[in-house]
Amino acid sequence: MILVPITYRGGVYRHDEIIALIEDLGGYIVQKHMIAQEVVLQSFVPRDDIDLIRAVAKPLSGEVIDSPLVGTEIAVVIPSLEIHHLPHPACDIAEYTRRLGAKSNMVGMARGVGKRIANINDEERDVINEHDIAVYVLGNFETCIEYKMPFLRRGVEVPIVLCGAPDKETLQRIIQPPVDGYVGNVGRFMHRTKESDELAMLDEIIAEITRVLEKKRVEIAKDPLSVSPARLMDVIREQVPAILDVTSPTPLTVQMAGLRVKLPYDTFAGVLKKTEIEDGITIGDITEVVPSRMRDYILVKILPFSSTNTVI
Amino acid sequence: MASIEYFEVECTERLGGEYYKQITNDVLLDHNLLRVINKLHVFIDPKVPIFVAVGVMKRVSSRVRVQDFANINPVEGKTILVISDETYLAPMLKVFWQRFGKDHVEQPDRFTVILYDVPASTQEIEEIVVADPSEALYKDLIYALRCIAPEGFRVRRETYGKEKFSFVASEDTLNGSADALIKEKFALMGETP
Repeated sequence: MILVPITYRGGVYRHDEIIALIEDLGGYIVQKHMIAQEVVLQSFVPRDDIDLIRAVAKPLSGEVIDSPLVGTEIAVVIPSLEIHHLPHPACDIAEYTRRLGAKSNMVGMARGVGKRIANINDEERDVINEHDIAVYVLGNFETCIEYKMPFLRRGVEVPIVLCGAPDKETLQRIIQPPVDGYVGNVGRFMHRTKESDELAMLDEIIAEITRVLEKKRVEIAKDPLSVSPARLMDVIREQVPAILDVTSPTPLTVQMAGLRVKLPYDTFAGVLKKTEIEDGITIGDITEVVPSRMRDYILVKILPFSSTNTVI
Repeated sequence: MASIEYFEVECTERLGGEYYKQITNDVLLDHNLLRVINKLHVFIDPKVPIFVAVGVMKRVSSRVRVQDFANINPVEGKTILVISDETYLAPMLKVFWQRFGKDHVEQPDRFTVILYDVPASTQEIEEIVVADPSEALYKDLIYALRCIAPEGFRVRRETYGKEKFSFVASEDTLNGSADALIKEKFALMGETP
């Protein structure tokens, strides 16, 4: 069964029927937002059943949209959290990816500014490495991007999409060794993105992120994960009731090959490891449960089939 | 940009220059400074690195008087002020309290102020100076230029004369060549610093 990410958008009225349907079909609901009279469900559903969900949703005036970014966690990396980068370029990009289903976090560097002093510290590097992809939003000058990028990417192992004002070809030329994706004509600007050409630019960023993530998905598929992250999320939600008391918007953040559990590591790591998924196989058997550099959260990294010899 | 007589952004990188022109325009517009600037020349060289902004302000009669935002109707024993713009209401009340005393000033609602038995004629009240925004203008201008300048440029030097201003920022220590640059950029606008 191949699960694909979708977003369901519809009214509150009878939306529980859609939730029940997705669960009955073997899908998972990653996030549920209730905004006034509207419900947005970000979920994984079996590919063959999308038409069925569409048919059920039609009388409820609900719509089903493909959203390739559901179930991914994206780091939007900016040189600082100053007015020069916030709110416009960085927030607009982070918000746009969020709208399409991703969980985006903003990483503002302590010393990312300037040419001479630009650097990345170990905490920033580790936090970025906990994500599925890093989107670097840099500035307007070719010289600066060329000079700074080697410092800002030092130690970052996740795929990088680089955004900057020079065009795509220039970015490709100046960045050595190459990064995974480039989006040109997105530099520093000081206004909201609302003109059609600016929205097209955001779409281009999304397309590039999707392309890079798709490549990563293909890589993962070559050595499949022992358990799907969405399923693991369901298991934790059922068996570790403490997660239901967490007030953060996404207490369990699904990633492509893991899960961020927003519970304190010292208290809950042991509990998580012993939680049974199925037939006596526990979470500890097929995953690595490590402390996250983000607050005191737990990071669950799912091991591939090749190292556990199990797929459930 | 109709209100600015001269506005140029000079940069060693063409595309970067275009972006910075947009940024300069946006920031000045956001801070409501376009109406007070007459000429502006910005020069950026990321290779040095240096950022220079020089310009000339417009001569604005900036003092705000009561008559600029209030209608004054004298009625027997009292004067009624109808406020059309609340921006300077608070400083105006402060001035009135100081001059006439709180007993003589009343504000029944947002847009009305009543003065009782004040020893001043209608004309005198109209002429009272309430605020002088030009005091804050310099701060606003420098703040705006800091927003415009590339972020890492934290070594700054700014000057502000009667009408002319200059702002230099860099990542490295500023040396004498910055002064030469300022002179050069002023010359481009047909001015002397």
